[in-house]
This record gives sequence, C-alpha cells and structure tokens, in this order.
Amino acid sequence: MKKNQTIKPILEEIKKIRFFDDYDEKQLLTIAGISSIKQFKVKEILFEQYDELSELYILIQGTLSLGISLPNEKRIHLGTIEEGELFSWSAVFSPYISTAWVKALTPVKVIAIDSKKLNLEFTRDCEFGLKSMSKIAQTISRRLTDTRFHLINLLTIT
Amino acid sequence: MLYKCIKKEEWDKVLEQFLLSYTIFANIENEFCPDYELIRPQDIPRISYNKPKPATSLKSFFLPVRENVSCPGYDGKPRIIMGAPNCDIEGLSLLDEIYLDNEFSDIFYKRRRENTILISADCNSINKHCHCLSYDIKPYSSEKADIAINYLDGIIVLGIITAKGEDLVNRIAAELIPGDNILISAVERLHKAVEASLVTENEGLPSYEDTGKLVNESGPDIWERYSSNCVSCGACVTSCPACSCFLLIDKPGLEKVKQMDGCQYPGFERVAGGEDPLRELHIRFRNRYMCKYVWKPRKFSSHACTGCGRCIEACIGKINKNEIFKELVKQPVNAG
Amino acid sequence: MQVDNNIYKPLRAELTGIIDESPVIKTFVLKPENHFSFKTGQFIELSVDGIGEAPFTPSSSPLITENLEVTVMKTGYVTEYMHNLRPGVFMGIRGPYGRGYPVNSFFGKEVLILGGGCGLAPIRSLLYALEDIKEKLIKVILCYGSKTPSDCIYKPLFTRLNNTEKFEAHLTVDKPDKEWNGSVGVATTLLSKIQINIDNAIAVVCGPPVMMKFGTIRLLEMGFKDDQIYLSMEKNMSCGLGKCGHCMMGEFFICKDGPVFTYAELKDTPDIWK
Repeated sequence: MKKNQTIKPILEEIKKIRFFDDYDEKQLLTIAGISSIKQFKVKEILFEQYDELSELYILIQGTLSLGISLPNEKRIHLGTIEEGELFSWSAVFSPYISTAWVKALTPVKVIAIDSKKLNLEFTRDCEFGLKSMSKIAQTISRRLTDTRFHLINLLTIT
Repeated sequence: MLYKCIKKEEWDKVLEQFLLSYTIFANIENEFCPDYELIRPQDIPRISYNKPKPATSLKSFFLPVRENVSCPGYDGKPRIIMGAPNCDIEGLSLLDEIYLDNEFSDIFYKRRRENTILISADCNSINKHCHCLSYDIKPYSSEKADIAINYLDGIIVLGIITAKGEDLVNRIAAELIPGDNILISAVERLHKAVEASLVTENEGLPSYEDTGKLVNESGPDIWERYSSNCVSCGACVTSCPACSCFLLIDKPGLEKVKQMDGCQYPGFERVAGGEDPLRELHIRFRNRYMCKYVWKPRKFSSHACTGCGRCIEACIGKINKNEIFKELVKQPVNAG
Repeated sequence: MQVDNNIYKPLRAELTGIIDESPVIKTFVLKPENHFSFKTGQFIELSVDGIGEAPFTPSSSPLITENLEVTVMKTGYVTEYMHNLRPGVFMGIRGPYGRGYPVNSFFGKEVLILGGGCGLAPIRSLLYALEDIKEKLIKVILCYGSKTPSDCIYKPLFTRLNNTEKFEAHLTVDKPDKEWNGSVGVATTLLSKIQINIDNAIAVVCGPPVMMKFGTIRLLEMGFKDDQIYLSMEKNMSCGLGKCGHCMMGEFFICKDGPVFTYAELKDTPDIWK
C-alpha cells in the first residue's frame, strides 16, 4: 500500500479516465493502491526509446509528443498523446523495453501504475487481468492502425 | 396491334413519296453484312426485310459518335428508320431512361427521338449469336416501335403500334387492305419458328436475372482467363445498342463536344491524381458485365443487354460472353 | 442551373480573384453572369475555356450567391492550367449537381466533422452552413489532419471556430516542422480527445480515399452506426448528369446519387475506397 501518497486523490483521478469506465470499485481500488501521480515539466523526457520501463502511464493533464530516434540521435516526432490516453504499455510486456521516446509538450500530469505489481494482480484476478490486457491491446491496435494510416498518408498524395 | 397490308410494288411507291418529306434509313443487305444506308429512290428495291439485323445498332442514330452540344447539329428534319430489330428497340428503351430523365433531359437526344419514326422489322431468321429470347425479349416488334413490318408472299404487312405510326400510315395515299387472318397467322407462325430456333441455339444460357446473380457471385479467375484475349479495342462497347458512356471535350468559347467513350478503354475511371480503379484489364472486363447485369438493373427498368450478340460478333479476340455465363452456371457458387 | 435548357452548356463566370492558400493550392473567386446557388456538399463542373473541365465542391458559404469560391489543388492537366490563370478571364460553370449534406437533419444533434487533406475545401462550406443554423445544433466538432503545417489551408478558420460558440476545431499534421507545437499524427488520432455523445451525433467524413476509409473504420469502432456517418465520395465525376458513366460506383452514379452518401448506403458496394 502507498506510503507517501494517499490512495484517495489517485482514485478520484482514475475514476475520471474513460479507460477505466467499466471497472468495478474493487478493481479501481486495486489500481489506485499500486499507482502514483507524477508531474513533468515542459520538454522533460519521460522515457527514451529502448529504456527499460517499470510503469504503465495514463495521461491526465497536458500533452505529450511521441516519436523515435534516428541513429544520429535526431528525434522524429510521430504522434501526440492526449489526455485520457494510455502509454508506456511496454512496461506490461516482456522484455519491457520502450518502443519510442515520450516528451512533455506542456506541463504534464500522469497516473503511473507499477507494472510489476499490476502483472501480479492480473495473476490473482484473471477477470481483471483479461479485461485490462484486452483494453491495452485495443490501445496498441489503434495506435498500429493509426501508424499504418500515417505511413500511407506520407507515401501517397492527398 | 392493328394490321394493314399493301402490295410490295405499291409499298415501294409509297417509300418514294415518303422520301419527299422524310429522310429514310433502311436495312440493306450488301456484300459483307446487312446495315443501314441512307435511302435514295434507286435504293428502294435493295431494302432488306426481316433478314438478320443491321451491323450498326439504332444507338448511332440518336447518339452520334461525336457531336457539338453547344449548338444544334441535327436540323430536326423528320426521319424514318426501317428494319430495326426488336433487340435494338429495347436497347433504345434504356437510352431513353438515361437521356430523357426528368431532371436532366438531353435536348439533342430528345429532338432526334421525337423526329424519328421507328419501323421495326420482325426477325424471320436468327444470326448465330442472337439470344434476345433468353432475356425475355421477343425477336419481333413490341409496343416500343411505331410500326412493325413483315414482308410475306409479295405483301407488306404493317402492324400499327403507336399514334406516330398511325399518323404515318394515314399519309399513305395508296389503298391499304386490312390484315386478314391468313396473313396474320402466317406472321405468328414465323414468330414461333424463330423463337424455337432461339431456344435451341441458346440452350444452357441463363436468364438476364440469373446471369446477374452468377456474375455478382463469381470469383476473379474466370474473368482473368476469358479476358486474356482482350485487347481493349472497345468494339463490344461501340457495337452495343445499350452502351452509351461518353466524354465531354472542351473547345474554345466554352463549347462542348460530346464524344462516345467506353469503359473498356484504359483510363476510363482514371482521376487526376493518377488512381485508376479499372487499371487492370480483367477488372475492367468484369466491370462491364457487372454494370450490365447487376448494377444497371438496380437503377433502370430496361435491359442493359438485349441479347443482340453484336459484341460476340465484333470481338477481335473472339471472346464470347455467353460461354462465360454457361460456364458459370456449371460452376459451384463462389468458384472461378 | 441549365442554360437554355441545354444541360451541357456552362454558365459564364468571371474569375475575379485568386487567393494563394499554399504552394499547390489556390482559391478561385468566381462571379457567375446569372444567379447561381448551391447547397453545401453539391459540386460544380468548372470549365477552363478550351482546355477542359473538372469537378469541384465550392468552398464558400452557400448563403452567398453573388460569387462563389472554389479551392483547387494543382494535381493534373486542367488544374495545372488553372493555377496559371489571372483574374479577368471567363470560366464556365455547370451545375450545381448531386446530393449535398442534409443539414436540416442535423438539427438537435452533435456534428462531428472528420477531414483530411483536400477535404477541407468542401468542409469549409459545410461549416459556414452549420454556423448559420448553430442555434439548432448542440455542437460542431472539426477534427482535421493535414500532411504538413504548410499544407493546412484556411488556418485563421481554426482560430475563429474555437472562438465561436458551440464550435471547436482540432488540427493535426502528419509531418511537423520546427515551429509546429500542435498535435502530430493522422486525423483519426484526434478522435481520442473529443467529447461526443455518439447516440445523438452524426459524423461527416471528407478527404482522400485513404482517410475516408480509416476514418469510417474508426468511427464505427467508436460506436457510430452506418446511417450516422456521411461520406463525400468524389470520384471521377465528368458530365455531372448521371449519363456519361465515368463516376459509376457499383449501382450508384456519384454525380447524381451522391456525392454525399451515408455509409449505410455504400457499405455493400464493392471497392468504394478505390
């Protein structure tokens, strides 16, 4: 259980997020119990491409940019993460290595969920685990579809 | 139908009289194949009656290959077209639906249509690829022509169908004998004989509606196979009495020229950005049959294929669409 | 409108102004010689004297009838010629043709407009029309994606919409430049950030075929029903009269049955995204 932050403000923030619309009170409490609220300043890098990740994030305030880095370390901005969106999903799946860098475009607040503890909760409550994994998969699927659309757009004329 | 009869010699004189007031086109059997010709008095004895259809369909009289649609080209002089087979008359029916619709009526087509008297000739024999009856189209005149004509035993039998036809017949100065039962029975016997030939010749050919279902459900293989001989010459489109796609070409002074076009030519659906849904030949090839048997029937009540067989006769690649349909009948659903 | 009952004869219109929107896009301001009006979503066939004609959906307000605006991207033979025109020449207008947006059926609803690329031109006309009836609407949301910031035309429009009651506009680009600090990604990514009551909404999708396809798929995933999604299918329209056959898409003549369709009408038609 939390030592430095009380669960209540985290629970209140979680309840506002569309991603958790169909979770019951017990499941929301479980998530709140393994989460914290973090803040980042403008231009702060939340994580780099290829970083090992230990937290699953949900953006609750601000805007983030997402992209990949070229061998010469030039950053290519490929997408924007908006409020309510989940990111850092690599923290939940082995080998837990980030596929992109994420940077704050504005002052940002996130819910940070401890991914190791989350995976443990999934093994304890399979229904909770299946629901959460399905939703994470949908997020990844949507992002993949958007990326493919983005690629076609760049390759063809409008 | 009200029948009137006249001796052939008298009828030829009637035509001479008509030439003073009408432009007349009639089916003439010449060295190669029968076709319409502009008739002069000396051509009257050469007119062919009830023989196989003209090479050109009726479409050409109402949709010229190229026409300036900014100013009237056709002067509106009344004309008679003699010898049109019923398959062509039915083809005209579809063109009427497209060009004379309530919202955008084509005044050029309309003027030609209003000033033309159609004398349809019953078919007393068939060509190898005729298959009108398979599509419920009779090989003899229907209510869509103005007059039906038969030539039997030295007598011209005129079947009066419309008020326009009646008006023309009323102008005949010579004496007309009412059609007697013997002649009318003879005409009807000929009808039955031709129908029997069509049934025999087209055994195994599916109906118009069934062809639509088969084409719609077919896979790509059969079309790739049959289109391998196609060179996109567009002969099928040009010769078809029901195909009427066109291009509008700009001339100086904001003038427009309407030129007949065809979906079999490459680039028919190409857009400015370069995309071309019908780029591939076998897709273009199948698309035409989807248009004729599946899509146009959903929009229009007239047939988009009247079974005249000209596309089969005209095809340079010797592609016979009826072979495709007969093969589709034999295939399991979704195969090919 | 038909001139002299001749469906092929264009109405003369003077080109009175040209606005440079981007390196490849210009807006042409036309003053027809006779009264001309259109419904938003309908298109015209615009003739360049002696060169050719091409279909365009006016980008101006349907309420303004003294002149109309057509936004043209330089893509092919006719549009390239158009881009070299100077004001004062006369062009030809045939139309308006087709079925536009049924704005009266949007009353009491939330309207989501998803656009991309060249689709912003007809969308602008629709926005003007919706602005005129905004008391009858719940809200209007525009989600638009362009390739780069410089490809995004009508930029002041976005600011103006975000300052208009009941309107909000969101913009994203595929490829940002150094100065860009807005969203990056395709137009569909903007759908995650909007608040909309799908049960009482309609969606309008307008843009290149790829965008229309992905946009429609995303809207269906969100919960929009087939008959809630309106598509503007602009495909090789030529005569505009439902006769020449060039724009046939399955059984539909896009010029006559469209160009605005609901997805419900089209979903069983093959190859609609080609």
